[in-house]
This record gives sequence, C-alpha cells and structure tokens, in this order.
Amino acid sequence: MEKQIMEYASGNEMAAIAIRQIGYDVMGYYPITPSTQIAENLDIMKAEGKTDLMMIPAEGEHSAAGICYGASVGGGRVVNATSANGLLYAIEQFPVQSGTRYPMVMNLACRTVSGPLSIKGDHSDVMYLLSAGWPILFAHTAQQVYDFNIIALRLAEQVRLPVAVAFDGFFTSHQKRKCHRFAEDETVRNFLGEKKEPYPFFDFEHPITVGSYMNEPDIMNNRYQLRLAMDEAQKVLPQICREFASISGRSHQAVEGYGTEDAQVLLVLLGSSYETAIEAVDRMRKQGGKVGVVTLNTLRPFPAKELAEICQAAETILVADRQDTYGGGGGSFSIEVRAAMQRYGSTVRIKSLVYGMGGQDFFVEDAMKMFQMAADKEMYGFGNIPDDLGYYHVEPGQNWEAGSAKKEDHNFFAPLTEDKTKIGATQVIEEEGKLTVKGGTINATAQMPKRLAPGHGACPGCGIPVNLNLLLRGIENPVVLLFQTGCAMIVTTGYPKTSLKVPYVHNLFQNGAATLSGLAEMCYRKQEKGEMPKGEIVFIMVSGDGGLDIGMGSALGTAMRGHRLLIFEYDNGGYMNTGYQLSYSTPKGARSSTSHIGEHQFGKTFFHKDMPQLMAAANIPYVATAAESNPADFIKKAAKAAEYAMHHGTAYLKAISACPLNWNDRPDTERSVIEAAVNSCYFPLYEVEQGKTKLNYDPEKTNKKIPIEEWLGLMGRTKHLLKEEYREVVAGIQEEVDRRFVRLKEKSEHPLL
Amino acid sequence: MSGMQLPVTNESGYYEIRLESIGGLGANLCAKMLGELGLKYLGLNSASFSSYGSEKKGTPVKGYVRYSRAEDEIREHSPVEHPHLLGIFHEALIEKNSVLKGSRKDTKIILNTSLSPEKAAEKYGIPISMLFCIPAQKIAIESHSRINVVMLGSLGKVMGFTELEQLNQICKDTLGKKYPSAMPGNLEGIRRGFEEVLYGASAENTEIQNEKHMFEEEGEDCPNPEWGYKTAPIGGINPRPGNSVINDLAPSRQGYIPVFIPEKCINCGLCDSTCPDMVFQFQKGTYKGREMMVNKGLDYYHCKGCLRCVAVCPSQALVKGLESDYPEKKYFMPNQDLLRAPDYYVETGADGYITSESFLTEKRIDGGEV
Repeated sequence: MEKQIMEYASGNEMAAIAIRQIGYDVMGYYPITPSTQIAENLDIMKAEGKTDLMMIPAEGEHSAAGICYGASVGGGRVVNATSANGLLYAIEQFPVQSGTRYPMVMNLACRTVSGPLSIKGDHSDVMYLLSAGWPILFAHTAQQVYDFNIIALRLAEQVRLPVAVAFDGFFTSHQKRKCHRFAEDETVRNFLGEKKEPYPFFDFEHPITVGSYMNEPDIMNNRYQLRLAMDEAQKVLPQICREFASISGRSHQAVEGYGTEDAQVLLVLLGSSYETAIEAVDRMRKQGGKVGVVTLNTLRPFPAKELAEICQAAETILVADRQDTYGGGGGSFSIEVRAAMQRYGSTVRIKSLVYGMGGQDFFVEDAMKMFQMAADKEMYGFGNIPDDLGYYHVEPGQNWEAGSAKKEDHNFFAPLTEDKTKIGATQVIEEEGKLTVKGGTINATAQMPKRLAPGHGACPGCGIPVNLNLLLRGIENPVVLLFQTGCAMIVTTGYPKTSLKVPYVHNLFQNGAATLSGLAEMCYRKQEKGEMPKGEIVFIMVSGDGGLDIGMGSALGTAMRGHRLLIFEYDNGGYMNTGYQLSYSTPKGARSSTSHIGEHQFGKTFFHKDMPQLMAAANIPYVATAAESNPADFIKKAAKAAEYAMHHGTAYLKAISACPLNWNDRPDTERSVIEAAVNSCYFPLYEVEQGKTKLNYDPEKTNKKIPIEEWLGLMGRTKHLLKEEYREVVAGIQEEVDRRFVRLKEKSEHPLL
Repeated sequence: MSGMQLPVTNESGYYEIRLESIGGLGANLCAKMLGELGLKYLGLNSASFSSYGSEKKGTPVKGYVRYSRAEDEIREHSPVEHPHLLGIFHEALIEKNSVLKGSRKDTKIILNTSLSPEKAAEKYGIPISMLFCIPAQKIAIESHSRINVVMLGSLGKVMGFTELEQLNQICKDTLGKKYPSAMPGNLEGIRRGFEEVLYGASAENTEIQNEKHMFEEEGEDCPNPEWGYKTAPIGGINPRPGNSVINDLAPSRQGYIPVFIPEKCINCGLCDSTCPDMVFQFQKGTYKGREMMVNKGLDYYHCKGCLRCVAVCPSQALVKGLESDYPEKKYFMPNQDLLRAPDYYVETGADGYITSESFLTEKRIDGGEV
C-alpha cells in the first residue's frame, strides 16, 4: 500500500487532482456545467505552478475534442472534460478517436440533454456514447472518480482505446466528501508507466498516414479490431483493478452489489443513487425485507456475465434509469440489463422505471418506494403502456379533467402590435441610398413599451436587460427574438414563466444565427405566398456570454448568406452563464475561473476578439458598436440596424454589457465603467455602413481619452494589472488597443479602406 | 483525534445542517467550512453541498451539511429536509421562501437579525425555544468580515460540539492563504458570532409561540403543478407572454432602494435607460410647459436595489435610501402596461444558473473583495 492523503473534495475536484498527478500533456476543453470545475481547478493549480498541463480553451466542444485528437495523435497524454450537449456537439469526434485507436481520457459529469434546456444531472448524455467504441467507467462516488481517472488511462494505453469516466453531475461532481489520494505523484506515474507509441507520428524516418479512406471489407475488419480491443479491455480491466487495489487498498469490480446474496427483490441503478439505495436496503432489511441493490462500474464493456451472476438469487429486478430511449422499451441501461439476463438464461422478472431526469432528487424514501413497486404484482398503470415500463414521479397537472382556464385569463399585457410600438419617436430616412436617423431621444423613446416584462431573474445591475431595452427602444416595427443560450435566456425564460412579450425562440449557441435564418426565411416565404400579411418584421438574434465563440461559424455563415436579420451581441466578456470562464472577448490579463492569477499566470493570456471586424469582413451592409454610456447613439444605431435587417441583409450590432457579479464591481458604477471602456478606446463606437467605416465618437477629440489602466482599475477582474509586476501586460494591452483604434481612425478617414 | 459523539442524529445516523441564504452572502462557503470542520477537526465523517444553481447575487441559495460518526458512510445525496441546525442568513427569506420548511421541535434556528429573540419569535412565528439570534450583518460591518464567518461562529456555538479555536482554524485553512490580510477581521467576526449569539427562551417567555409556519403536515414531495404532462402545452412552450411580471423581486434587495424626489426631476429619462428591471413608469405629460414623457413613479415590485438610477440621475431626484426607513414607499407605481394586476406577487429572488466556483473570489456585500 502506498501512502495516501485525506481530502475533503467533490468529484470534480478529485478528477482535477488525478489529472494533475498523472501529469497529462494537454487538455483541450470547453466549459460546460457541471464539468467546468475540473478545468477551473486545474487552472488554479496552473496559476500556482503546481502543474504544467497545457490547457487549450477551444471555442466549442467540437474543437475541444479536435484538439484532444490532434494532441493524442502527436503522442501526448490527453484529457478532456464535458457534459450533456457538449458531449453531443463533439460526438462525431469520438468514433474517430476510438476507430483510429488513440488513447485518451474524458471525464463526463453527466447532465440532461437539451431541450428544453436544463443544467441538472441525469444520464441522457452518457447513453449517447454507448456505441462510440469507448470503454466507459461509471463512478458513483467522488473517490471512484479519482480512482477511475487513474485506472482509465492505464486501460486506455493498454488496449489503445479512449476511455470515458462518467459520474453524476452535481450529486457526485459537486458534493464534497471524504476522499483519499496518493501522497506522491510518483505513485500514480509508476502505476501508469511510460506511455508507448506503437506508431510514433513525428518519426520522419518512418512517416505514417493516420485516417485512411476505407471501403469494405476493410471497414468491417477495422471495426472488428475495435471490438476485439473492447474484449481485451474486459479481460485486462480486472487485472488493472487488482493492481490498483494493491497500492490503494480500494478494490473495484465491474459490478457491485449490496445485500445481493439472498435478495428476492433487486434494484439496479447507476451512479450516486446506488449509495442512497444502500441506505434504503439497510432500513428495509431491519423490517425483514429481502432486498438488495446492484450497480455497474463499467458500462462499456458491459459486464453481462457478472451482472447475471450477482442477480442470480433474485425473483424480481427493477432497473431504474435516469434516461429514456422513448419507445425502445425503457432506458438504454435497462434494455441492456434485460439483454444480459436473457443471454445468461435468467428467467427473472424485470421491470424498467425511468426516474430522476433533470436532476430530480433521489431520497431514501424513493428507493424504498421503488422496492415496493418492484414487488407489486401490478405496476405503473399508464393506459396502454406495458406494465413493466414506467415513469416515476410524473404529475398530470391541475384540473386537467376540467380543461385549462381560458387563454385570456393569463394575459397580463396587451399584445405589442404595431400601433403600440410605432410611437414615431425614431425615424429612419433613406435618401440616395443613405440612411439617416431622426429623433431617437431618450425622453421620447421612453414611450416605447418594453418588449421584455419585468420580474426576470438577472442579477441586480445586470447590463443585459439594459442593452436589450436600449436596442428595442429604437426599433418601432414588430420584432421576433431568438436568444442563444446564455444569461439572457436563462434569466428570462425560467419555466413556467417568461419575460418575453413578443414571439421568441431559444436555440443552443452553436446554432442561433442559422436557426434565425430559417425562421426569418419562413416568414418571408409565407408573406410572399400570401399566407401572412405583408409587413416589416425585424428578426433579431441575441447572443452574449461568449455565444459568438462557439456560434461564430453559424453567425459568419448567416452573414455570408446575407439573410435579412439582425445579430445583436451583448458582450459581457466571459462565459457568465456558467460562472465566468474566459471567452475570446475577455480582456487580456483579466481574471476568470479559467484564467486565474498566481505566480505563474497573470490572467487571460491572449487579446480580446474583434468580432465587429470579423463581421465587417463578411461585407454585410451594417456593422456597428454601441454602449449604454452613449444611449442616444445606441438608439439611433438600433434603428439603423433594424432598417438594414428588414430590407438589405444581415446587420450586426454589438454592445458592451456590464456584469457586476463577474466584472466584480458595484452595480451602480456600471455605466461609468462602460464609459471608461469607450473613453479608453477599448470599446470604440463606430459603424461600418455599406463598407464604409465611420468613427462615431473619438475621445481624443474631446480630450476624454484615458489610458487603459484607468478602465482596468475599475473592475475587480482586472484591478490586479495595475501592480508593478504586470506593467508589461498593461503596456501590451495599450499597444493593441491603440493599434486597433488607429486603424479604425484611418478607415474612418479614408472611404476606400 | 477520537471519534466524537453527536448529540442527536436522524434515522440514517446523521446530524444535519441546512443554511438558507441568498447568493452573495457566502453561505456556500460557510457550508463547505462546516463540512470540512467535521472531517478535519471534529473526528466525524461529513459531506456538504449547495443547492445547484446559483451563486448569483440575490438568488436564494441553500447549503447542506451532514455529519456522521467517523466510521459510518454518508450515502445520501439528497437535500437536507429536517435539519437539526438551520441557519438563516437573510431575514427577508422567512415567509417568502419557506425556509423553515421541515424544521421540527428539536431544530435549532439561528437567524441573522438585529431583532431580539422575543421580537423575532413574535414577528416570524418561530417558537422561542428554537430560536437563536445574531446581528450578523452589523457585526460583519463592524469587524470588517462577512456575514458567513459571523454565522459560522454562531452556528458552531449553537451546535455545541465545536470549540471556537476549531472554527478559527477551519477559517484560516480556507481563507488564510488567499486573503491573509482579511484574517484578523474574519477571526473577530467568528468570535463575535460565537459569543454574541442570543438565546431568548426563559421560564417567563416560553409562551411566545406562533406556529403559523411550523410543523404543518408536509404536502407531497412533488406537488401536482398547474402544468403537468396532461395540461402543459407540448414541448415546453409557454403561451403566457410576460408572466414573469408576477415575480416580486424585493428579496433581491440588500437593504437599499432608490428614493424618488419628483420636485427635483427634470424628466431626462436617463434612469429608465439604465434600469435593468423596468422600474420607471414614464407617461405622456407636461414638464415646464413642454409636452414630453414624465416620470410618474417606480415599480418597487421589480426593483432589485442596484441603484444604477441613483448613479446616473443628473439632478439628485433619485437618492439612495435605507429601505427600512421607507415602510410606505411614496411614488410606488406598479407596472403601467399591466392589463390587470396580478392576483398576487410571488416573492422571489433573481433566479440562478451559475454553478461554478465563483466563491473562489470572496466578495463583500458591496461588491468589493474581501
């Protein structure tokens, strides 16, 4: 037994500790709840100099998986962490990783898959991975998360397959418990041994081709190789676990049970619920109940034989799934349990139950109820659904027999029809192909009814509603809104409430602009076919929280196609909806939960993204920036952008948006912080109208220009940069900001640029 | 370190603690410190976690801690329903968020309030025999610490099986390295929380009982919602535009409101342009003989007290006021676009989503760092 240290830690923290101790080369990642803390914890260790792991923040999970693939082809030890839609977005990369036989480890903090969007835990993501050719270890304690991370890499390198370590999002990823880790990193590294490369990629004497084009029968043979590797994994995993037990004192089997020896009724389930069910078994056994519980520590390869053996004594098995195949006859796990039992000749009675989706809590009492349900002759009783497939804890809703109340009873607001929004406060006039805006004063536009209802859940002082209201003040035509995933969406549409008073749709942030393209074109088509009255509607996509990192391709594609719509970006400079990880538009040097400050790191290491210039390069008719500190300018630009979006093509408007929580400043100072961003030229106000750049506000001319550190000093996330030791970082930011600003000025002065 | 005996435990053998707070007060970190305290210094096994969702400012947050004997496993992962110790970090949460739910006669409740135990028992309908009071906000300000460390001190005292020194130690372990300069203030906060927590029950006043919230037979764990699988519009569609208006966000405020002085108002509209919460009610009217939009009042149901409006007001017509000084809010005007007043307002905090390590940067109530 090797020396160990006790930790009070969560599953995510234990994963991070294991990753540090293993000494990986590269982590390609993209933050997604609830797995994000793994990267965050590693970033803290990096800042403190405790690891030299190269962490590459991709612009989306698809790219994160690509980074991992590249680094593993290059012979590195590589790790990733993701959840839910992150896994799904990256999914095409996983069979590539396994099919070309490059080992790596991916942590999967399991979470429900959208939509409707929810961040809570269930197993609907991991089940998409069942056919990817990855061994999947499923940890039900934080301790197992640590142990399995180490075992996984050993297994991966031994059979040359990528391995996933799955565990319950939140229940396991976030709850802190007593855990143990090896005192010395050497213990872990000795256990793993040196990484071997059967076909070194960087051997220029012996160049290799990775990723051939294949026809049958080669594909069949390649796939069979993969299957054989999985068989091999089944064979070697017990040996690896035994070896691990000899150094840790903790033994892990593919199948684990409690009270199974003489249990007549068995509950079979995955993850943290297993632990809770053990408590229920103890209580029921006190009353003489012959019950037991079983879980699997490996989902792939599926330990069918061991499962059949452990369930031998049972008369009834209830398999509970935090996932459903919707029509497949239960959750994926329960179907596989049924198949395993059949394969090994068991005639045990099996029931399937779907429970706990979207992170519904699982109490001891729930486990006890499930034992009852398992023992009952009758079951579930949902109309014509077979009685061995059930849903646990669903509710019909109130008064459904009587039908819902009349629709009008629920309307708090009159519909925002044109007569209500065409207040005439802002007019856009087109003369000789040039647009000018008249009116648009703050006072007059106060008449505009708000398209968003109050009562939304944004933090006090949040800039998002401020910016949305300023935008929509200047737009008098009817609007259709699409919010990409982000704080704006989360805080306005918490079911069963919504703050939207106008037609609205959410889509995931890889795809907002494309979705709005389709939506807008359908409207225009209906109008052309006479199925909808002709009228001018402004289609607006709202993105922020770094949504134009992962959604950049979709936004640029939409711009290239030139759909008539408006892309509005509230740029709060970080992935605020997941707890402020760095986005590409986070200022250089800023602290975030993936760019900590420490002796070895000063915050974010690269410059903020210049999205308006990227959009300008798409040659769309209108690109502009706006700030709440210059509200009249903002409203005018909104009106202009809407006009272009209705008649000419794609328009893009970006506003800098305050986030008191994560900028770490006082809510009531935000307008002046934003004013400082404008006056320091970090966020210049300009427009690119039909290819011509116009600087709308030059702080140099009004003697208002301030050095960048005056702005940086206003926010807790950048205040540290004022210290002497970061002088060069600040000088670098100043230089970059000046360079970008001078170029804008030149463009503004020369119509040909 | 010998295993210690817990004074009371539930059927599973746990001593359970629940903390009720709003984001920004540090309850998450307090739960973590209590959990680690059990494992490291009390010879217990322990587990802790927070309600998932939210370190957002103003959002209701719950912290959970479970202790067991060192040799026992803590297997349950579900929230604490019947706490032995219940810490309430924010007075405004009582009555509004059923924070007392699940408390039983042997639950000890520690309330952050400037009220005396007698007054608080009466006001909030808590049996005085269960109630302990600590003016944590006041002590936090005076000691340059935070509410969570003061509460840590009081929780430790009332719990009865930890020493002050152990509380100090866990605080040093957690915050000492990162915020060394804040440590004297934090230790002072813990000490005062430990020493100044008040228990009001005595032979004379045990009759102060108003059990209106307590010990009610609990309803279903998962009450049948209005929209269930038979009644909800398919696909999660919400056909009720703007119904978030029934949320009353007063619990998000942290003591301050904007106070309106109409005589000074020049109706520039800047307040409306900076308000994230659609608080300002402008209508057509005249000002200095000119027809224009004029400010008729504020919708305090939706004001979260960010004071952006106070900061931008050029004529001091909006000023910062202590909410407790304005029990009757003058110029309170509910949202003027409402077709009908909601039958009721649901008192709630801003809703949350954040699930990250924002507690790594400890923030003071006023937004600054510790």
